[in-house]
Amino acid sequence: MAAKLPLADVKVLDFFWVLAGPGITRSLADYGATVVRVEATTRTDPVRTVGPFKDNQVTQEGSALWWNNNAGKYGITLDMGKPAARAVVHDLVRWADVVTDSFSPKAMKAWDLDYDALRKIKPDIIMISSCLMGQTGPLARFAGFGNLAAALCGFYNLVGWPDRTPSGPFSAYTDYIAPRFGLTALMAALIHRKLTGEGQYIDQAQAESALHFLTVPLVDNAVNGREYNPVANYDATYAPHGVYPAAGDDRWVAIACRTEDQWRAICATMEQSALAEDPRYRTFAGRQNDRAALDLAISAWTRHLEPQAIERKLQAVGVAAYTVQNTFDLAADPQLAHRGHFIEVPHSTVGKTCVENSRFKLSRTPAQVTRSAPALGEYNQYVLGQLLGYSEDQVSQLAVEEIFG
Amino acid sequence: MLDLSTERGFLCGQILGDLGADVIKIEPIGGSPARATGPFVNDAPGPENAIGWLAFNRNKRGITLNLEHPEGRELLRRMAARADFLIESENPGTMATRALDYPALREASPALVYVSITPFGQDGPRVSYVDSDLILMAAGGVLILSGDEDRAPIRMSVPQAYLHASADAAGAALIAYYERLNSGEGQQIDVAAQESIGLAGQSTALAALVNSDETRRMAGGAKMGPIRVPLVWPCKDGLVSCVFLFGAAIGVFSRRLVDHMFEQGACSRAMKDTDWIGYGARLLSGEESMANYERNKEVIAAFLMTRTKAELFEIARANNLLIAPIATIEDVRQNPQFIAREYWQTVAHPGGASLTYPGPFARFSGKPITYRRRAPMVGEHNREVLGAELGLSSEEIANLTRKGII
Repeated sequence: MAAKLPLADVKVLDFFWVLAGPGITRSLADYGATVVRVEATTRTDPVRTVGPFKDNQVTQEGSALWWNNNAGKYGITLDMGKPAARAVVHDLVRWADVVTDSFSPKAMKAWDLDYDALRKIKPDIIMISSCLMGQTGPLARFAGFGNLAAALCGFYNLVGWPDRTPSGPFSAYTDYIAPRFGLTALMAALIHRKLTGEGQYIDQAQAESALHFLTVPLVDNAVNGREYNPVANYDATYAPHGVYPAAGDDRWVAIACRTEDQWRAICATMEQSALAEDPRYRTFAGRQNDRAALDLAISAWTRHLEPQAIERKLQAVGVAAYTVQNTFDLAADPQLAHRGHFIEVPHSTVGKTCVENSRFKLSRTPAQVTRSAPALGEYNQYVLGQLLGYSEDQVSQLAVEEIFG
Repeated sequence: MLDLSTERGFLCGQILGDLGADVIKIEPIGGSPARATGPFVNDAPGPENAIGWLAFNRNKRGITLNLEHPEGRELLRRMAARADFLIESENPGTMATRALDYPALREASPALVYVSITPFGQDGPRVSYVDSDLILMAAGGVLILSGDEDRAPIRMSVPQAYLHASADAAGAALIAYYERLNSGEGQQIDVAAQESIGLAGQSTALAALVNSDETRRMAGGAKMGPIRVPLVWPCKDGLVSCVFLFGAAIGVFSRRLVDHMFEQGACSRAMKDTDWIGYGARLLSGEESMANYERNKEVIAAFLMTRTKAELFEIARANNLLIAPIATIEDVRQNPQFIAREYWQTVAHPGGASLTYPGPFARFSGKPITYRRRAPMVGEHNREVLGAELGLSSEEIANLTRKGII
């Protein structure tokens, strides 16, 4: 029999939404936590409107991004404007170990659900608020998405060509950093609570977490005055280093060469013995100096070959190379398949859905992802009836009062 | 916590050290190779000056230990028997050749949480592939998404893949530790950077499997189906990120933006009266034309060009709009929010340098994160750790030093 999941005793009342917060509670659910995810029918999670959509059909339940971020959670809908709904929330707070929110700082206070209020209901509650800039300071109320935090944190200006306006990272970059720190902070608080019985409040500014991924430039700028501007795929320690065209539409291969041996192996693979013997390219500095010419020579070879073929040839001789994988490549990637990265899980209205597995593996208590994301309001009855122990009559009465929106 | 990791895993131990763990960084004799990698403090190379080392080994003590030597390995086993966590980032198989892999240590240390951070995981067909940050970006499905449409994909110029993996590993380590509080047993954590960095692809990886169109990269923005969504916009004195999108949750921001533009005489009454919440759905159904969408974007672009970054940010804050300046690294350091929250932490280093680091990654009402230790110097805590704590005598330590084991 499988070991009990690590977080089987953890109950979470989840007011997170969009990307960064729900990424935290997805991990908690993977490892056994019971996560009750609250939505409002009048203001459903914007992620439901962002693809990829199953069969390209834009529907409320059809977003694979939504599934992926919310698999395994129990979704309920509540109209927080109704006092009876807030009474249900108070019962959920009593039930929960953890309450989360990722609204701008004023929202939870307006519902009288800020930490001070929650603590009166349940003294040992753990609460985590995760917003762009934090709960205090002049920008505390600056609400927005991860692309704005990424712009303010300097990530945009690090992706681009020197001769053009920066391209920026794909979409809302800080939303993919913050969940890791949020999860770690929450786990630390859960461990502390288990050991001491004390709850606490965590203020996570997604920007403050994300800046840890730019520590080197930030320290360098402060002490050496160096600024970081777009350099495309240039690297100070690899040459040649870049993304080279392969045969086909938008097909590319990434190659990173560090040593002279690797350079000679690339030349041998390209059957370019003159390049291999060229004394200028023995040293890293020589290859770095002439990188434009070397990039052209490599491109002339790669552009006629399938990216996977180049990858295999170069990896076989110890050179770092990989197809610049698109969604089709990822679906066929043997390493990801070996690790069970993509998994099929059932959804109550959509049928079969596909999500990504936990991004880390625990050898004795692996993640269990058995359900997709909840349909809107799917677990209203379950949460009130099974988790809170309300009678059928009570639940029906609340439905009549339209607390579910 | 024993931290044997290379640059691949430094951040994991640092996050846990920030949370209060007693982290012992274990370096090869002479120090970690990361100490030879620039940039350096005052641009002066030296083992105590490497910013990449200093930046990710705070809140750790440091010892040197030669794991190529049997006595070095035996010392490590003794330390592991007293440790709660071990972090390593060797290529799969390397720790087994030293008999320091998880199965080898588990017997003596059944409660050990053993954290492994690698490019592609502990096993599988590509486990011995050579990697780099760029390679992992490519393998994870993130590289294809960033850059300009008419040129090759480009990565972020500051390496990111292993930071994602290390941060994942920290959360995973604490999940395992929480579990251990119930079961008393340890386990191995297997983190593959290829999978960790994949999170930054925002689930576009799933498109093929759900029969959806592929997401293609777009300079300064994102393509959402047929809709080209710009996220980088020029303004009077630079660039801003601005979100002009639709739907119940985001459309209200677009409505407020257009309302503000109308007040400023920057758009027509017809544009102001457009229902931005339902606009996206109408675009997709064909009820609104793509030409109309493109014209609306042109009107917004023209408005943004009449204001500076600072003015637009002020307008965004006053009106609750989704606009923010695109910051340089210097701008980030000067951002009044981080200063007001006393985010930046200054740490004194030997030799007189004071370095300023990004501050706590989260604020705890219980015990706040503090930066109680700068990164260790080479072998700084050999005596403290091996002598006082592991119980080796001065003679034994002198012997080990002579034999090149510490």
